[in-house]
Order: sequence, then C-alpha cells, then structure tokens
Amino acid sequence: MSDLVIAHLYPYEMNIYGDTGNVIALRRRLEWRGLEARVDLVPVGADYDLAGADVVFGGGGQDRSQLEVADDLQRRRDAVHEAVAAGTVFLTICGTYQLFGRRFLTQDGQEIPGIGVFAMDTIGGRRRMIGNVVVATPWGDLVGFENHSGRTLLDAGQPALGRVKKGFGNNETRREEGAVTANCFGTYLHGSLLPKNPGFADSLLLRALRRRHGEGFELAPLDDSLERRAAQAASRRP
Amino acid sequence: MLRLVLACALGRLAGRLSRLLGRGGSALPGLVAEKICPRLIEELAAPVRRGVVVVTGTNGKTTTTKMLVAMLEGEGLKVVANRTGSNLARGIASRLIEVASWRGRIDADLAVFEVDEAAVRPLAPRLRPQVLVVTNMARDQLDRFGELAATAAHAAAAVKHAGEVVLNADDPLVAEMATGAATARFFGAAGPIRRNMPHDSSLYGAEAGEAPRPVLDLSLERADPDGDGQVIELSAATGERAVARLQVPGPYNGYNAAAAVLAATECGVPFGRAAAALEATRPAFGRGQVVDFRGRRVKLLLVKNPAGFNQAIRLLAALPPGAPVLMAINDLDADGRDVSWLWDARVEDLAGSGHHFGTAGIRACDMALRLKYAGLEAWSETDFAAALGRFVAGVPEGETGYLVPTYTAMLRFLDLLRPGASKREAWS
Repeated sequence: MSDLVIAHLYPYEMNIYGDTGNVIALRRRLEWRGLEARVDLVPVGADYDLAGADVVFGGGGQDRSQLEVADDLQRRRDAVHEAVAAGTVFLTICGTYQLFGRRFLTQDGQEIPGIGVFAMDTIGGRRRMIGNVVVATPWGDLVGFENHSGRTLLDAGQPALGRVKKGFGNNETRREEGAVTANCFGTYLHGSLLPKNPGFADSLLLRALRRRHGEGFELAPLDDSLERRAAQAASRRP
Repeated sequence: MLRLVLACALGRLAGRLSRLLGRGGSALPGLVAEKICPRLIEELAAPVRRGVVVVTGTNGKTTTTKMLVAMLEGEGLKVVANRTGSNLARGIASRLIEVASWRGRIDADLAVFEVDEAAVRPLAPRLRPQVLVVTNMARDQLDRFGELAATAAHAAAAVKHAGEVVLNADDPLVAEMATGAATARFFGAAGPIRRNMPHDSSLYGAEAGEAPRPVLDLSLERADPDGDGQVIELSAATGERAVARLQVPGPYNGYNAAAAVLAATECGVPFGRAAAALEATRPAFGRGQVVDFRGRRVKLLLVKNPAGFNQAIRLLAALPPGAPVLMAINDLDADGRDVSWLWDARVEDLAGSGHHFGTAGIRACDMALRLKYAGLEAWSETDFAAALGRFVAGVPEGETGYLVPTYTAMLRFLDLLRPGASKREAWS
C-alpha cells in the first residue's frame, strides 16, 4: 500500500508550463525518504473519488482547455469543497487556481464560473504578466515564473499565499500573490514551483502525511543545496 | 522607385558600418531600409520570377529550408534565401537588400524564406508565397507568444495568403490549417515513425499515431539510424519511391526531409531528383552539426522546447552507455525566458543510459535539478569556458561528446569551439 495518494487533476488538459514537475517533485521527495506515492491521473470526465486522495494537484492550461475543465470542475464542486473542509492538501496553479475562485470574467465579457474555494474573482486583461517572481511567504521566499493575463482580486477576508517581492503576482497593483484556504493553496507560480522550493514542497507533504499517519509524523531532512542554488539563480533573472 | 533605391543603399551602408564595428546580427540593414521604404519587402520580392516559398513552424524551419534550397539550386535555379535563420521581417528585408542591384532589382528564380511562426501572420500578405510549408506546432517560448493556440492561430491566418500549403498531416494543429487554404498537400510518416514523433497534445501520453489524418501526398516510410545521419525511404502518392542517406539524425529530420521534398515537387522539381539532393545537404547551424575540437568530435543538438528536447533525448538514449553529455540552458529572449519547459521533457528516459552529464549556462542549476529529479547526477558550471573544458576533458581522444544547448548558449559555445564562428555564421 502506498504511503500517500496524489491525484493529478486534468493531466492532459492542464499541463502547460511544466507544471507536471510539481508531481515529479512530490513523488521523488517521498521516494528519497523511503516513502511511496501513488499518482492517480484524473482527466476531464473521469469517475474519481477525491476523498481517497491525500494531495490534489492541478496545473495551468491554455484558454481552450480551461473551458472544458471549468465544466468538469463544476461536477466536482461539492466533492472538492468537502475535501478542502476535511483538510486534504490541494496545490492549484494558474488556470486551475483561477477556477478555484468564484468566477473568471474573460476579456470579451464571458463569465466562466469557478467553484468558489477561494473568495476571489479573476478578470481577463490585455497585457500578460510575464517574468520571474519572488514571493515572501511563511515558508520562506518562493521563486517561480508567471505568465497570465487574468488579474485576480481577493476579497478582504481571503488570505493570500504571500507578498510579492519581485514580479506581479495576483495583479499588478496589490503586490499580493496566491491564496490559501485551510490546506488548499493557489498560486500563479510555474517554474516548476516545487522543485525549486523544497521547503514548501515538504510542508505540503508533511501536512498530508500527518493527516493520514498521525501528528507525530516527521520527514527526514534532504540535501537541498542544488535546489537552493537553482532558486537563487532564478530569483536574479528578469 | 527612388525611395526603394535610397532604402537599399542606406541599408547596405548600415550593414557595412556594423560589420566594420565588428558587430554580428543580420537585422540592421533591413531595419534601416524598412524605415525609409515601408513596402520594401513587397517591392523587392514581387519581381522574383517563380515566386516565394515560406517555411514556418516551431521546429525544423532552418533544416527544411536548407534542404529545399539545395533541391532547387540542384535544378540550376537561382535562389534567394535567409540561410542564417534570421527569420523576422527585418532579417528577410536585409537578405533582399543584400542581393538587390543598386536600382533595387532582384535577379532570382525563387525566394525561399524561413519565417518565425508569429511573424508569419503579418509577413504572409506581404510576401504572397506561392507555397507555404508548416513543419509542426509545439509549445515553444510561451513567454513570448502566451499560448500555443495563439501561435497556431498566427500560422493559420497566414495560410489564406498562400497559393498552396504543404502541411504536416501528423500534427493535428497543423493539419487543421488546411480548412483555410486554397490547395493543401500533406506529408506524414508510416505508423512506427509516427508513434515515435508525438505531437504537442500527445506529449503527456495521450495516443499518438492513431488519430485519423488527411490522405498523404508524401510519406516517410522508413528512417534507420546510420552513423551521424540516417537512411530514409520516401513514397509519393504518385507511386514513386526513393531512398536517401541524410547527414542529420532523428525521425524529426526525416519529417523535415519529407516536407522539403514535397515543397520542391510543388515547385516543379522531379521527385527523384529532389530526394537525391537530400544526400548532399549538410546539417544546419547546430542541428546535428559536428565540430572537431582538440582531437574530439563535439556533436551539437540545439534544443528550444520540449518537443525538440525529447528528440535529442531519444538520440542520446539510443547511444551506447558512457557518452559525455553537456546540457547548456540559457534564458535570454532568444531562448525563452521561462525554463519551465525543462520539466515537460522526458528526461526520465535517460535514466539507466549510463551517460555522464554536465550542465552549463545561466540556468545550469535548473538543468541539473531536472536531471536530479529524473534520478541522474550532473555537475554544473555557469561559466562557459570552464564548462567546455570540463566537458571535453571527459571525452576520450577521437571520440564524440554531445552538446545540447539552447540557442544563445550554442552561440557562446561555437565561439569557444571555433573563434568567430557565430559572427561568420550570422553573415554567411
């Protein structure tokens, strides 16, 4: 039996910008500690019980696939809310992150309904926000690459993932990035995010492992010097 | 007319000054001349006797263009082409100025231009190509184009300005462009090769090689590795067949050869002679090119996106164990500023290869990290000269080392391997 079950939402539809690297990172960081993960692929239309997953991951996609995914996600709305309430760990990036908000208003006025896990709206814009990003968070500085035209506005009571030190983040005015509700995380950071931010990756794993195997569960430390050097190099790039 | 003459003269002057100052880059003359005569490209290209051929797509433009030019020149035709891969409007304008007479006239039978997949949209109505070739559409430089669908839309919009189009039937995003075309011809490959050449939407394991596709006008039947190159077999819908030895490896170059042969036959070159001309076509700049260096052979495999990287990975995975490999990743504009794509490449396929890996470039650590998460160890060195020294030290004399660089990293290495090479290439 595996120590952790990772559900990869929409692996075929939402897979742009190397987000699959996050699943690779989670799996490897468990393996290096003698733990084993099972990765379940959950494409559009799949019959899948989210209650059986410890970590749920969803990446960024192109506009074309985002519509298809938005429909499918509506079907899973209640199941996602229940899983979030039960403390399941979620990592949602870019396109999936946007759909975890209330709605996405596209540039031509079309409204794509989200599932409202995060109290936020996203509004399509003309200018794309592109470049390397550094975000200060409780897990240290996170480094990634953003590429989005949607501007995400959090409600007053919705906690962000962190404060933007470099780049844009949720939008170009408020200097906040991402969103957090219980163990559900949303962010615009590609890169891939987790390989270069091992502290954050381990924090996600630890939350999931403790939930499944008990509060006393610990993760053995790893040598993350290469990860840190890569993050440092990225944080200096435009 | 006067404006055109003036534009050509001043453009040429700008080029000469820039060369005197020792600067590379073939864009300046075009940039200057287009300021003076905005319709320069239209006016210079229109009198080309048998028209213009444009080659676009995300991968394989340079190699396909080079093969096609060889076929046309083999027929004794006088061809103008942008051989240096300077494939934006200013690069094409520069090349046209370079070959124009002082009165702004061009004496050529055909013009063959590789055109950037985003620049092709505004350029197609200006060049009015007789034939437009689209090689493939894979994710590439998304920081520049935003999305793959947007990139494909640029090429699709260009299609309606072409007399006919030559399309890759095995790439759904390319094949569907036929709907907007006056006449469409298709190249593709037989089952086993097609399954080895997944298109973008199948990068993540969805079925490749099974989906319905248009009827082929030219099919790549076989592509067997042979030394630094490969032996391919092509079969035309007319029933003609040909076998040719290419100097470049990999099934993707088999596709490029098929695209070039089909385009050449549409330009009136007999099928058998077009296929024969493939044998003499030398590898384009960095695309399978071998450079001799300190008694070793350094083979260059340029990578720009996951599709190209997967092709290089397939080549490396097929080598006997123990090959020295240096992967060099830069993140300048010409490389793509976002290196996320390294995570889309199937680096895991190299696990168990027994090769020795090093990484270099501005993002050497990102590449080393990608290898680490694929279960492979690698050293990293951001300084190019130091990285090359360490890499070459690991290649036994007379043997081959494999250099897998992004575009600007390749230019840096070429200058170290053959001082002055990147500048010469830019002007040759």
